[in-house]
Amino acid sequence: MRDPIPSKRGKRLVDPEPRAEVDDELTFHIEQRIRDYIARGMDPVDARAAALERLGDLSGVRDECTELLAAERRAAAHRDWLGDLRQDLRFGIRGAARAPLFSLLAILTLALGIGANTAIFGVVKSVLLDALPYADADRVVRLYGRLVDGTSDRAPLSAGTVADIAARQRSFSGIAAFRGLPYNLAYLGEDGPRVVTTVDVEPALFSILGVRPALGRTLSDADTAAGAPAVVMLTHSTWERLFASDPSVIGRAVRIDGVSRTVTGVLPRGFIGPLGEAGFYLPLELRSALSDPVRIRGRHWLGAVARLEPGVAVDAAQREASALAADLARQYPEDNGRFGVTVMPVRDALIGSTRTPLLVLMGSAGLVLLIACANLAGALLSRAISRRKEFVIRVALGAGRGRLIRQLLTESIVLALTGGAAGFLLAGLGLSVVRTLALPALPDHAELSLDAGAMLFTMLLALCTGLAFGVAPALSVSRADPQGALRDESRGMSEGRRSRRSRGVLVAGQIALCVSLLAGAGLLARSLWAIVDAPLGFTPERVLGVAVQLPPGDYATGQSRVRFMKDLEARVRALPGVVAVASTSDVPMRVMNRVGFTIVGAPPLPNDASPFVLYTGVSDDYFRTLGIALLSGRTFAADTRPREQPGVIVSESMARRYWPDGKAIGSRIRMGPDPASPWTPEVVGIVADVRNDPARAEPEPQLYVSNREDPWGGSAFVIRTRVDPNSLIDPVRRELAAIDPRLPIDDASSLSAMLSERLVGRRLPVVLMTAFGTLALLLASVGVYAMFAAMAAAREHEFSVRLALGSSRRGIAALVLRQGGVWMALGLAGGAVGVVIVTRALRGLLYGVSQFDPVALGIAVMTLLVCGTVALLIPVRRATRVDPMTVLR
Amino acid sequence: MFANDSGLLQGTLELLVLKTLSWGPMHGYGIASWIESATGDVLRVEEGSLYPALYRMTRKGWIKGEWGVSDNNRRAKFYRLTAEGKRQYRDQTSGWRRFSGAVSQAIATTSAPSWAR
Repeated sequence: MRDPIPSKRGKRLVDPEPRAEVDDELTFHIEQRIRDYIARGMDPVDARAAALERLGDLSGVRDECTELLAAERRAAAHRDWLGDLRQDLRFGIRGAARAPLFSLLAILTLALGIGANTAIFGVVKSVLLDALPYADADRVVRLYGRLVDGTSDRAPLSAGTVADIAARQRSFSGIAAFRGLPYNLAYLGEDGPRVVTTVDVEPALFSILGVRPALGRTLSDADTAAGAPAVVMLTHSTWERLFASDPSVIGRAVRIDGVSRTVTGVLPRGFIGPLGEAGFYLPLELRSALSDPVRIRGRHWLGAVARLEPGVAVDAAQREASALAADLARQYPEDNGRFGVTVMPVRDALIGSTRTPLLVLMGSAGLVLLIACANLAGALLSRAISRRKEFVIRVALGAGRGRLIRQLLTESIVLALTGGAAGFLLAGLGLSVVRTLALPALPDHAELSLDAGAMLFTMLLALCTGLAFGVAPALSVSRADPQGALRDESRGMSEGRRSRRSRGVLVAGQIALCVSLLAGAGLLARSLWAIVDAPLGFTPERVLGVAVQLPPGDYATGQSRVRFMKDLEARVRALPGVVAVASTSDVPMRVMNRVGFTIVGAPPLPNDASPFVLYTGVSDDYFRTLGIALLSGRTFAADTRPREQPGVIVSESMARRYWPDGKAIGSRIRMGPDPASPWTPEVVGIVADVRNDPARAEPEPQLYVSNREDPWGGSAFVIRTRVDPNSLIDPVRRELAAIDPRLPIDDASSLSAMLSERLVGRRLPVVLMTAFGTLALLLASVGVYAMFAAMAAAREHEFSVRLALGSSRRGIAALVLRQGGVWMALGLAGGAVGVVIVTRALRGLLYGVSQFDPVALGIAVMTLLVCGTVALLIPVRRATRVDPMTVLR
Repeated sequence: MFANDSGLLQGTLELLVLKTLSWGPMHGYGIASWIESATGDVLRVEEGSLYPALYRMTRKGWIKGEWGVSDNNRRAKFYRLTAEGKRQYRDQTSGWRRFSGAVSQAIATTSAPSWAR
């Protein structure tokens, strides 16, 4: 019979399946009707016509039904999917509850892996990825001087260099200079004197950074004009802290270092200048420096920021700046000969040296997560193998393989998400630990917090992990051959070669990752040890360091400053508990001043025309107070004959470097950039090196002058005590108030505390990487043990047969040992590759140890060998105790 | 009267389908035939609305269609009541009884209302 339903012309709007079903149903109906009519005696042709007529608008009915059916199908598919999911989840949770040890281990392992990653990601994100508080911050660059001898990429610039580059360049839409170092000022508030960090900037800085004031106006060029009223701009935190967020602060006069300044504006919350956090911004004018023939190029004291012209890349700007610097070097060989210019994205400039340690830590956390995943993959694999019979039966009973895989995936994802949630809690905990540990070592713009991004990152990690370790067992099940497996299972065959191999690979991988991580941690620890162990050059224990801010207005003459320091020294010396006291321009470890010098009568050194060294003014007792050894000559003894210049003292490394012939003492040097400078003191002594940056193993050359001769540096005091140095802070403050009640104390702290603060940046990676290494070792040991145990357990039947056939127990032990040993050896070999990668990443962080330090590497390998062997011996012992009769029965 | 216009109200058709299927699973043609014979050929089912009604009732979860074999060995889609369908059948039957009883009672009344006296 011909199809009674004529096919409709035109495109089909719904998928053929519902349409075909509707057609079948309607065809049946029409056939029945025709059959019925014929039975009543109708002619077949008439019957057909009547049947079709009876149905009415056939194509309309057909379309309506098709649409209804399609809608129903979609709804049904959705219902089924949800139903399956519910079932999978129920199975997953029930399964997890049935194997609580496995589930707990899985969730804990994941929580640790994910927690470590999220915490570190929180740090990395806030330091490396979060937006800087500048408009279009990617276009802002920092300009530095670069010493062509390679000693510094981040040197300051001279006023002339900045002005010349600004006039000749085409890469930047604007350049603004600022004083290269923040300095402290005394602010006389209502509740007494305060020390506030201050930065001098050219007013254009704010427009270049694209910063709008929260209140009032930013500094303007008019503020730098000669005779312009003195002004100051406040940062938001200063406004809150010192001015109680007073909205009427604009226009108010405040006394800063004895000068009355008008507040012009308040910077927005969260603003961080190129020099980090500060309290005041003052206008910087360069005209006087530019009109001084020596200062214009001889003094390198400025930093600069610039905004790139649209379309100009950093590389292009760097090329132009290098060309300009080369021009300047030809033009002014005396002053610019040794200087290039570095153009650096402002983010890189702010991040400074924290990038490498952070990336290293991120990498370590990633390795821990990899180990956690391998661990779980192994555990799930073992579980899937022990559940194979269950799966095989379910497949035999008609469960689709896809459905089975889906169930396994759901199970892993349930575990992963639970682990992820637990990890997130751990990360919050970890981050608060990092915060207390690391904040001093991180750039100022970093606000450590777990945020939406970190949350997303964890969840993504958790899901990927779930998928990754859900796949291996799922694949092994889907490959299972039901008949064979059921037969094997009942006969108790050993596991297949394939699953044994995948376990072996997981073991080897974990060992390799763990060795790399431990080796890295070991190398960092050895470097830290080398740095801590290197002589500091002075004895920091029981010494209090105190800085006092002397307003230049009130202490305008050198004599008044010397008198003040002598007064306070004498008063403090009389305090109970004080052993010795000395004054200095800067507390050790905080020296920032450098000075250029030339040796009188010596031929100029090529390429090193006028070396720069650390420069400190100290009082007579300084070396004795700090326990800095005098190696030869004399110190600035009080018995220096009157009217004679006190001379200068050089550090050991300075003497060695610039007087290789050993004849430093008695030689004269010319100080400062001016070749006609009349100040040519004699070198009178050599003292032991002091490491100004305790995070570096090598000391920097240092030059000391008497602060009676140059009292213009800072005024700080070092006080050696018989008691806890901090207990002297208040007595010292009282003595200071007795001399001048307007003077604030700044940064009173024991030198030991300063030392440990300065080492935070170096200690942090060591602490964290060691923590990660320990975590990894723990995870890997458990994982390796579990896998060896499972591998041995899976072969129990085989061992029994072998024993029954006359194999010795020793032979069985050798078999298991050989199997495990091969994978361990492979893991260690893989670890060697990992170590090469890790040490390359760490290269910049290592001091005083070789990249392939045998101690660090040996300890890492030995630790793993021991842990691996223990993990292997337990299963070996069990395998040899197999009772063939019970197992075979 | 019903036979001439499209007549059979949507709700009534659904109730009759539920009634038919309460005897057991049946295909669309059988449902139409049974309704006609059970009503003494008074109600003639409009076939053009029967099938959409069946699909709608499926969508509502009252009935479920399954492919089977008819008396004369042809492949046919049989419908049967679901649990929800059985509940609907009970509710709608009693509702219909109340409704038709009320209408019958009203039209059978012989005493005129007060305003007609």
